[in-house]
Amino acid sequence: MTEVSLRSLQKFYGKTAALKAISLDVNHGEFVSLLGPSGCGKSTTLKCIAGFEDITDGRICFDNKDISRKLPEDRDIGMVFQSYALFPHMTVTQNLAFGLEMRHVPKAEIAQRVARAMEMVQLTPYADRYPKKLSGGQQQRVALARALVIEPAILLLDEPLANLDAKLRDEMRGFIRDLQKRVGITTIYVTHDQNEAMTMSDRVVVMFDGEIAQAATPEDVYNRPASERVARFVGNANILDLPIARTDAQGTTVTLPGGATLQITRPAPSGQSRLRVMARPEQITLTSADLGQLPGRIEKRYFSGGHVEYSVATDCGPLFVTGPTTQHFAEGDSVGLCFDPARLWPLPDAESAQ
Amino acid sequence: MKRFRATLLIVPTAALIFFFVILPYVTVLLMSFRAPADGQPYGQGFSLEGYQQFFSQPYYALSLPSSLALGMATTFVCLVLGYPIALHIATASRRWRGLLYGIVLSPLLVGIVVRSYGWTILLGNSGVINSSLRNLGLIDRPLPLMYNNFGVILALAHVFLPFMVLPLLSSLQSIDPAIAQAARSLGARRFTIFRRVTFPVSMPGVQAGCILVFVLAISSYVTPSLVGGMRVKTTTLLVIDALIDQYQWPFGSAMALILAVTAGIVVLIFARLTRMKWT
Amino acid sequence: MRIATPLLALFRTLVYVFLLAPIVVVVLASLNAGNFLTFPPQGLSLRWFWTFLNNDIFLNAIAYSATLAACATAVSLVLGTMASLYFTRHAGKHAEAVRIAVLLPLILPEILTAIALLFFFYEIGVGTEHKIALFTGHVLMTLPFIFLNVNTSLQGRDDSIELAARTLGASRYTAFRRVTLPLIAPGLSTGAVFAFIISFDTFGISFILKGTGSAPLPIQLFDYLRFNFTPEAAAVSTVSILMTLVLVVAADLLFGRRD
Repeated sequence: MTEVSLRSLQKFYGKTAALKAISLDVNHGEFVSLLGPSGCGKSTTLKCIAGFEDITDGRICFDNKDISRKLPEDRDIGMVFQSYALFPHMTVTQNLAFGLEMRHVPKAEIAQRVARAMEMVQLTPYADRYPKKLSGGQQQRVALARALVIEPAILLLDEPLANLDAKLRDEMRGFIRDLQKRVGITTIYVTHDQNEAMTMSDRVVVMFDGEIAQAATPEDVYNRPASERVARFVGNANILDLPIARTDAQGTTVTLPGGATLQITRPAPSGQSRLRVMARPEQITLTSADLGQLPGRIEKRYFSGGHVEYSVATDCGPLFVTGPTTQHFAEGDSVGLCFDPARLWPLPDAESAQ
Repeated sequence: MKRFRATLLIVPTAALIFFFVILPYVTVLLMSFRAPADGQPYGQGFSLEGYQQFFSQPYYALSLPSSLALGMATTFVCLVLGYPIALHIATASRRWRGLLYGIVLSPLLVGIVVRSYGWTILLGNSGVINSSLRNLGLIDRPLPLMYNNFGVILALAHVFLPFMVLPLLSSLQSIDPAIAQAARSLGARRFTIFRRVTFPVSMPGVQAGCILVFVLAISSYVTPSLVGGMRVKTTTLLVIDALIDQYQWPFGSAMALILAVTAGIVVLIFARLTRMKWT
Repeated sequence: MRIATPLLALFRTLVYVFLLAPIVVVVLASLNAGNFLTFPPQGLSLRWFWTFLNNDIFLNAIAYSATLAACATAVSLVLGTMASLYFTRHAGKHAEAVRIAVLLPLILPEILTAIALLFFFYEIGVGTEHKIALFTGHVLMTLPFIFLNVNTSLQGRDDSIELAARTLGASRYTAFRRVTLPLIAPGLSTGAVFAFIISFDTFGISFILKGTGSAPLPIQLFDYLRFNFTPEAAAVSTVSILMTLVLVVAADLLFGRRD
C-alpha cells in the first residue's frame, strides 16, 4: 500500500530548477531517508510534501489522493524541525496539546493523549517546564512527541539530529527508529549524514542536483551503488578502472596491473573495453607482498581504535584499505592486495565520474 | 597588569556617569527636601514643603493622574499603530525592508521641535486638515484638533512610534520562522497562529516598547507645550514651569520625583501584569 | 481573512503616511509665499529661505549647534569606544552593570537628567554660564549611541585577533590601529552620525542648561514658535532636515555596508 507518492514533482525558483521531476513512492509504515549534500533538493522535497513550498509541476498524493493544492494545516502531517521550533511560551504539556486543540479534540481526551505521548518519549517529569529549561535531547523529544501526538498520517523529519552532540545523536538515532517502528508511522527523514540514513532507514533515497540518483535499501546503496557519485558519497569507495579480458556466460573477466585476473560475476555493461569496478575499503584484504593479486606499498597508516586504515600506493592509484588491529603493517611496507570478486561492484557506464 | 590596563578603559566613562548622572540625581533628591526661599532658588535648611505644596493644591495634584492617563493613551495608540508596522517590516522582502525601516526611523532623524511644529501646521484651526475640510464644505467651524488631549496624544504617538516599533521588530525578527511552520503543520490557521503563537512570543518586545514609550511620553515637554498650547497641563510642564520660570527648585524637584516614582510604580505593575514565565 | 487582509494593508499605509506627514508638511510650508502658515499655500516661493539666510539668530544657532554636536561626538567617540572595548572583552560578570550604567542617560528621562545636571553644576559653584554644563549634557546624550554601535561591531569577537596580530610582531598600538580599528570602523561611523544628529536635535538638555547668550537651534526654534507663525520657522526646519539627510546619505555612501 502506497502512503506517499511523488509524481514528476518539479520545483523552480525563478529559472533555477530545485527539483527536476522527482518520482518516489513511500510505502505504508516505511522509513525513508532523503540523503544528499546541501543544495541537492532534499529539504525542498520535504517542504513540498509538508506544503510550505508550492510545487511548480507534478503531483503529491497521500493514499492516492492528490493533496498538492492543500494547505499545510490540512495535510495531516507531523513535522519535526531542525531547530525543533518548540513554542517558547508554552510548557511541554501545552506544546503537545496545541495540535489536538487545533483539531478540537475534547479536553479530557487531550489530557489523556498528551500524557500518553509524554510517557512514550519519557518526558513525564518535565511536563510543566518551558522549552528553555530543557536540554537539547529533551527538546528534541518534545518536538517528536508534539508531531506524533496528533497521530498524523505521515511523519516528516528535517535534519532533527543536526543540533545535537555526537553521543546524544547516536542515542536519539536508536530512539527515533524504535519509536517509529512501535508507532508504525510512515516516515520521511531528511539528512546529509550517511550514517544516520544507513542505520535508521528501510530505504535510502540519494539525491544530487535536484534529482534522485538512487532509491534502494541501505545495503544496496552501499554495496550496489547506481553510480560512481553515489559510491563516493556513501562511504569510502575505491574505483578501479580495469581492461576487460573477456566476457562470457560466467561473467566479465578483468585484468589487474601485474597480470592477475578477476572474474566479476555481477552483470556489467556490455560493449566496452574497460570496466570501472568499486571495492569498499573493508572488501580488500592485505597480505604479504608475494601472495596478493595486486602489489602495493603502505603510504600512510592511521590507527582508529577498532581497526586500522591504510592508504596503499598501487598501479591502480592510491587505494584505501581497512584491516584488523591484529595485523600490523608499517608505513613503507610492501604488501599484496586481495580482492573478493563476488563483492566487486561494476559501475554502470551511463554516468561518468564527475 | 593586564587587568589594570583593561580597567583603565572604563574609568573615564564610569567617572562621567558617576559624577554627572548619579551624583546629580542625588542632588535632585536632596533638593526636593530643601526649604523654599524668595528671590533665590532655595533657602537654608530642610523641609517637606515641596511635597506638601504638590498634594495640597489640586492644580498640581490633579496633573499627575491626567499625565499618567496621557502617557497610557499614547502608549496604547503607539502599540496599535506600531504592531502591524513591525509585523510588516519583519516579513517584508529585503528590498522593501530598507525603505520601510527608513520611514519608521524618519521621525528620529528630525528634531522633536520640528516634528511637533509639523503637527501644529497639520492640526491648527487654520491648519492643513481644518482648511481642507472647510474648503470641501464638510465643516463650518474648525474642528478642535489642537490645544487638547487629542492633539497631544496624536503628536506624542508620532514622536515616539519608532520607540515602539524598534523593540517589537527586534523581538519579531528573533522568532524562529520554523515556529509558525510548526504551528501550521499542527493544523493552526493564520489568525490562530498570530493569536496563539506570534503575538505571545513577541511579548518581550511589546513589554519593552510600552515601557519605553510610556516613560518618554510622560516626561516629554516640547510636544505638550507646542501642540497643547497652555491648555494641556502635564506634570512635566509644571515641573519646568516651577524650576525655570518661578525659580522654586525644591518644589520643582519634589514634583519631578513624585512623577518619577509614580511612573516607576505604573511600570512595575505593568511588568508584573505582563510577566512572562518562559523567558 | 479575505476582508481582513486589504483592511490591514490600508491601515499600514495610513500609519506610514502618519509617520511622514508632519515632516512633509513642514517642508511644503517652507515654500509658502504668504506671510502666514495658511493652507492651501498662497503660491510657491523661496522668500522664507532668504529671510532665514539674513537672520543672524538662526544662522548662529545652526553654527552653534553644529559645533556643539561635533565636539560632543568627538569626546563620545573616544569614551564610548573605550567603554565598548571594556564591555565586550573585559567586563566579565559585571557586563550587565556596565551596560546599564553607560545606557543610563538614554534610559532616564532626558528632562530629569537635565534638571539634575542644572542643580549639580549650580551646587558645585559652576552654574550654567560656562558652557561646560551644556557640553557635559551633550556628551552624556551621545555616549550611549557610540557605545551601542561599537558593541555591535565587536560582539561575538574576542581579543584573539589582536593577540594573533601581537604574535605576528605588532605592538599593542599597531595591533589596535591595524586590526581593531578597521573592524569597528562601521560601528564608529554609524555611531558618530547618530550621535551628531542626537546632539543636534536634542531639546531637554539644551533647554535647561543653555545658560544665557547664544542657544542651540532647537531652543531658538522653540522660542520663536511660541510667539510666531510665519513660514520662516518651516524654512529653518527644512534646512535642518536637509542637513540631517545629507549627513545620513553621506555616511551611508562612505561607510555603508556593500553586501
